[in-house]
Amino acid sequence: MKRKFEHPAPSERALNGPAYWRSLDELAATPGFQAQLEREFPQGAAEMNGTDRRQFMKIMAASFALGGIGLAGCRRPEKFILPYGKSVEGVIPGLPQYYATAMPLRKSAIPLLAETHQGRPTKLEGNPSYEPHGSASSLVAQASILDLYDPDRATAHTKGGDVLSNADVASLLAELGKTYAATQGAGLAFLADESSSPTRARLVKKLKSKLPKAIWAEYEPIADEPPVAAAKACFGSDVKPIYRFAKAQRILSLDADFFHAESGSTYYTREFSKGRRVTKPTDPMNRLYVAESAFSLTGSMADHRLRLASSHILALAAAVAGHVMKTDVYKPLTEGLDALVSPKWAEECAADLVENKTKSLVVVGAHQPAQVHALAYAINAFLGNIGETVDFVAVEASTAASLSDLASAIKSGSVKSLVVLGGNPVYNAPVDLGWAALQKSVADVIRLGYAADETSALAGTNLAAAHYLESWGDARTADGTIVAVQPMILPLFNGLTQIEVLAHIAGEASAEGYALVTATITALAGGNAEKAMRRFLHDGLLAGSAYAKVNVRFDRERALAAYPVTAKKVEAFSLKNLEVRFVADHKMDDGRFANNGWLHECPDPMTKISWDNAIMVSPRLGKELGIDVKPTKVFGVIDAPDVARKEENNFSIGKENAHVFELTVGGLKIKGPVHIQPGLANYTVVVPIGYGRTAVGRVGKDAGFNAYPLRTAAAPAFVAGGSLTNTGTRMLLANTQEHWSMEGRDIVREANLDEFKKNPSYVDDIGTESHSPPIYGAHNSPADYNKLSREERAKLNATRAQEIPRGGSMYTTPKFDGIHQWGMSIDLNTCVGCNACVVACQAENNIPIVGKDQVLRGREMHWIRLDRYYSDGKADGAAFGGEGNREIPEDPQVSLQPIACAQCELAPCETVCPVNATVHDEEGINTMAYNRCIGTRYCANNCPYKVRRFNFFDFNQRQLDSLYLGQLGPKGMPELVKMVKNPEVTIRMRGVMEKCTYCIQRIQNGKIQHKVKVAQAGNIGDVKVPDGTIKVACQQVCPAEAIEFGDISDPTSRVSQAKAREQDYSLLGYLNIRPRTTYLGKLRNPNAKMPDYQALPLSRVEYNNKNHPADHGSGHDHGAPGHEAPKAEKKHSMIEAAKRIGGLS
Amino acid sequence: MSKIFPKSANKLPFQIIVYLGVLVCVATAGVTYYMTPKYTRVGYAPLQPVPFSHAKHVQEVGLDCRYCHSNVDKSAHSNVPSSQTCMNCHNQIKTTSPLLAPIRESAATGKAVPWVWIHQTPDYAYFNHSVHVNRGISCVECHGKVNEMDTVTHMQPLSMSFCLDCHRNPEARIRDPKDVFNLDSKPLAEQGEAGVKQAATFVHDWKVKPPQSCSGCHR
Repeated sequence: MKRKFEHPAPSERALNGPAYWRSLDELAATPGFQAQLEREFPQGAAEMNGTDRRQFMKIMAASFALGGIGLAGCRRPEKFILPYGKSVEGVIPGLPQYYATAMPLRKSAIPLLAETHQGRPTKLEGNPSYEPHGSASSLVAQASILDLYDPDRATAHTKGGDVLSNADVASLLAELGKTYAATQGAGLAFLADESSSPTRARLVKKLKSKLPKAIWAEYEPIADEPPVAAAKACFGSDVKPIYRFAKAQRILSLDADFFHAESGSTYYTREFSKGRRVTKPTDPMNRLYVAESAFSLTGSMADHRLRLASSHILALAAAVAGHVMKTDVYKPLTEGLDALVSPKWAEECAADLVENKTKSLVVVGAHQPAQVHALAYAINAFLGNIGETVDFVAVEASTAASLSDLASAIKSGSVKSLVVLGGNPVYNAPVDLGWAALQKSVADVIRLGYAADETSALAGTNLAAAHYLESWGDARTADGTIVAVQPMILPLFNGLTQIEVLAHIAGEASAEGYALVTATITALAGGNAEKAMRRFLHDGLLAGSAYAKVNVRFDRERALAAYPVTAKKVEAFSLKNLEVRFVADHKMDDGRFANNGWLHECPDPMTKISWDNAIMVSPRLGKELGIDVKPTKVFGVIDAPDVARKEENNFSIGKENAHVFELTVGGLKIKGPVHIQPGLANYTVVVPIGYGRTAVGRVGKDAGFNAYPLRTAAAPAFVAGGSLTNTGTRMLLANTQEHWSMEGRDIVREANLDEFKKNPSYVDDIGTESHSPPIYGAHNSPADYNKLSREERAKLNATRAQEIPRGGSMYTTPKFDGIHQWGMSIDLNTCVGCNACVVACQAENNIPIVGKDQVLRGREMHWIRLDRYYSDGKADGAAFGGEGNREIPEDPQVSLQPIACAQCELAPCETVCPVNATVHDEEGINTMAYNRCIGTRYCANNCPYKVRRFNFFDFNQRQLDSLYLGQLGPKGMPELVKMVKNPEVTIRMRGVMEKCTYCIQRIQNGKIQHKVKVAQAGNIGDVKVPDGTIKVACQQVCPAEAIEFGDISDPTSRVSQAKAREQDYSLLGYLNIRPRTTYLGKLRNPNAKMPDYQALPLSRVEYNNKNHPADHGSGHDHGAPGHEAPKAEKKHSMIEAAKRIGGLS
Repeated sequence: MSKIFPKSANKLPFQIIVYLGVLVCVATAGVTYYMTPKYTRVGYAPLQPVPFSHAKHVQEVGLDCRYCHSNVDKSAHSNVPSSQTCMNCHNQIKTTSPLLAPIRESAATGKAVPWVWIHQTPDYAYFNHSVHVNRGISCVECHGKVNEMDTVTHMQPLSMSFCLDCHRNPEARIRDPKDVFNLDSKPLAEQGEAGVKQAATFVHDWKVKPPQSCSGCHR
């Protein structure tokens, strides 16, 4: 007999559910909500935590609500389908919609496509209409969506303690405009961050004409564009350079980190990788020379890298210029340089540039003095590079006042009202300005800010800013293309944009963002206004709006007059006189992303530290500071370091126990943990800015230390005269990669270009496979494989992908009889290690943030990680009679490798799972059935790549500071945080293993959509998804296009083509696990004439030293044709063992 | 010294084992019967805020499923119509019916009508309507003869084994694509020998290969 149950009517709250999709403004206007605001957010700081636990997930229509749990008994809780009352145009519940928008950043922008689910943006991709970026975007662009749902963002406009409505704000601003109209603006000042928005520029112009005496100042703590002054001095017009890296064969970077710190870095990375990609031995490959003080990603890609203090870059630039132009004019600048740098470095580098006239390029970091830029322009002009590898485009010179100008105006008492738009000057203004006190001294400060920060604490009126995903706006990319900023959702907290605020003050007829942008764009586009606007919003950009390219002529006389050569001796730095270099943090930028958990948790690409910054010192400085490992007596006899191979960085199981030092420059002091970073100029201390925020949300609280108190207006990027003193205390840093050495193993396989040309399949001669029995059975050795043509190899690979049984395995393997066989290829030669894939994966796959405490315990959840290895050629291992890698190398080579689950065909994880929670599907994916997993973690233990991640806690349901309270802690995700989750991916709970499944949701949806398409078109049998339709998240975001993904059973697919290349190898291939993700070996392109030339990549030297100790140091080319195998075999105990058990064919 | 335990206590361990065994068997049988979707879900016919009769609308009015569930062949979800869709007709007919008051109110205010959700799959199972209805699987397979229902009732367990039964043997349940929305039609396999043959050809020509591994439904 079945139980009939009459359900009670659902409660009012359950029915109304979360209804913020298109109507949050309505909700916010209700008295109840206002009262809640008053109670919960006393100072306007949001406190949306777990008290309200209305469930909100993806469901059939717009939303559903949970109700009647207590009454439904054992039955499933009754849920409701809440369809739209009025249909929304174009919305199909269950299908995402994509809109073009863009993320503005200083004077540039990243064009994006936002994926929205019923009006809720969940993921950002690059906008493919913007050709220079393809569909790529950047690390911060990927993470910026999380800021939209930041529970700590400003939720109301406030004045004093009172909450203002938008109407109040409008009248307040209009009043301000009217008041100062009487004085023509005298007494009114604006301070804004930099922006490329044409609408803002238009409004500022209007404002200036209306209020001519008002001060308009702009300030950014970081310079990411070359100084216009230098270009003006050299070329006589306001121009800026746009580099064409794809055309450059020889590149010299002078302290320029163009993969990250320079404006347009996404474009530059993409272009650089085009010149770096070598698909066949006849392809050209660019050569990168880098001279820098910090160790940047650009430096890690360098073929020749010179560690040089930023202050000495000028001397090097002068030396190179002198050699290139065969002139002594610049000689006085180089005095003393030879003592620090081998003179051959500049000479040979210059010779190489000259040899590649019109195909070479010299790039200077934006933070370098204008004189260095002028020297680079001189070299580029001399080499005929202008118009070839570097174009100059006309830009409008800024008419804005500087922060110092504004500061002196405030000091003179002439500023009565100050409007601060964006930025955070109280936190990041040069310390010698004393900005906080100045701002306090202004009677009326109105601040438009995104969150309650240091600046808003000192402002009387605080206006909540809208996120760019809630705003109408426009921006220009680094090359000047005008892009649309479209809202994906109504402002969640009634936020305003800068243009709206300016329009109110200027007394515009309509201060609506849309009207303002339309007025700008239609005027620029011409023609039919409505059509132009529709096109603009559809494409996301205004075609042909890039800055005009101008023909420039380098005027040497004028340049020399502007930047006269004066004798300046290069002084070496020392322990007593350190150079301090301030760098924009890779993740926090200038501090604007300080409450973004995805960025905090993403490890720094070089140091691998998450959640903190550190004072970085070179290994030599570390030693001189006395923080290296002291030899101790082992068994009371032997002098040995604490533990063999233990480093100065004092690691203990993932925890870096850093010494806290005090850094002093010119009487200013900061305290911070010291991290020993290889590859730095010996006496340059590198300090990332953007951390140590004092007024910040819950995520960024206590993260790192603030380096701004050392920065003065005169020296914003580097300064001499620093010193370090040990405070004697220690602090733990969450470092995700404690070991820096490959230990002579064949993890990343590298060769120089010359070797590759002679022996394209060099990867097969490195590694254990070259000595192990052929993995694909007899007569299937790498040598046999390499004899085949590429087409034959692709075909063979396609067959092998479906072969049964695989590799003579004893286990019964499931049939791989799917229509597709998925595989991935990662090109280590073009990967620059920017970490964009890490956060793209996190956004796509609902990967939780675990917090510093859990990262310290090695429990980070990233499905893809970037391993960073250093090699100095000395990791021969004490066991093999060498000196071993006891010390951090001073000047290492870097090898980067992204690693995610490789979907092994013979997956070791599957054989140990007691509950079949991880099994293969018919298309070759190692699937995870989360609800089957019981959390034994056997699979993670058996994974050779260590790519499985375990939910030690309910990271999605519990707050990170109360994880250990277990069930006693508060439960539930803040409503806002739920909104960012991808509805296509399960949220995993505690005790469940998770890992990369090649974005299975994208694969399945791609297949389904294709099937539906062909069924409706009548081509019923055509169910194979065309190559390139399905893009996985990491592939899509990659600016270097290093990742290929697709069907490997189709020999013509791009991934099959990549895998058929000679450089293709399997990581740990000798395990015969047959990973579906394979790597393309890395190439270096050193110049044999350079003083630091290495005949073999240093990781190969280490490999040879370890595996062929007899050839120690000879640089013998292991495994090259003619390598005498029998002789080598004698040294391989493994081979001997294999022979004994008869395993060697 | 007298005995602490009486002689009858000797049987106690044995009795405990037997009773425990019986208890475990009963509990297992109970769980396997009462706690499966077959028992807990099938027959679920909750009261809806508006007593909408599918039978009336399909059989008397002659509406196609897709008039209201308009996105079933496009999206993963088969949408429940917006109140606006109802009002397309009901602004002409039965304009004052008190039963339709919630619809009129919803269409006016834009607030949703809280339809009780009947056919639920768990959040970790990703079912896609469009790929099924476009490739020969009729609504009736999972939802039953909704066209004859006055009150929508849960007809099939929609458990994992229910899904797999069909995924393992799609020939048995496949329909001619033109019959997918005809809930009175029969699967090809039930239309005699010619039908069985046609079903086999369909599966071959359309390359019907329903996923049987985890990744098909779990993401």
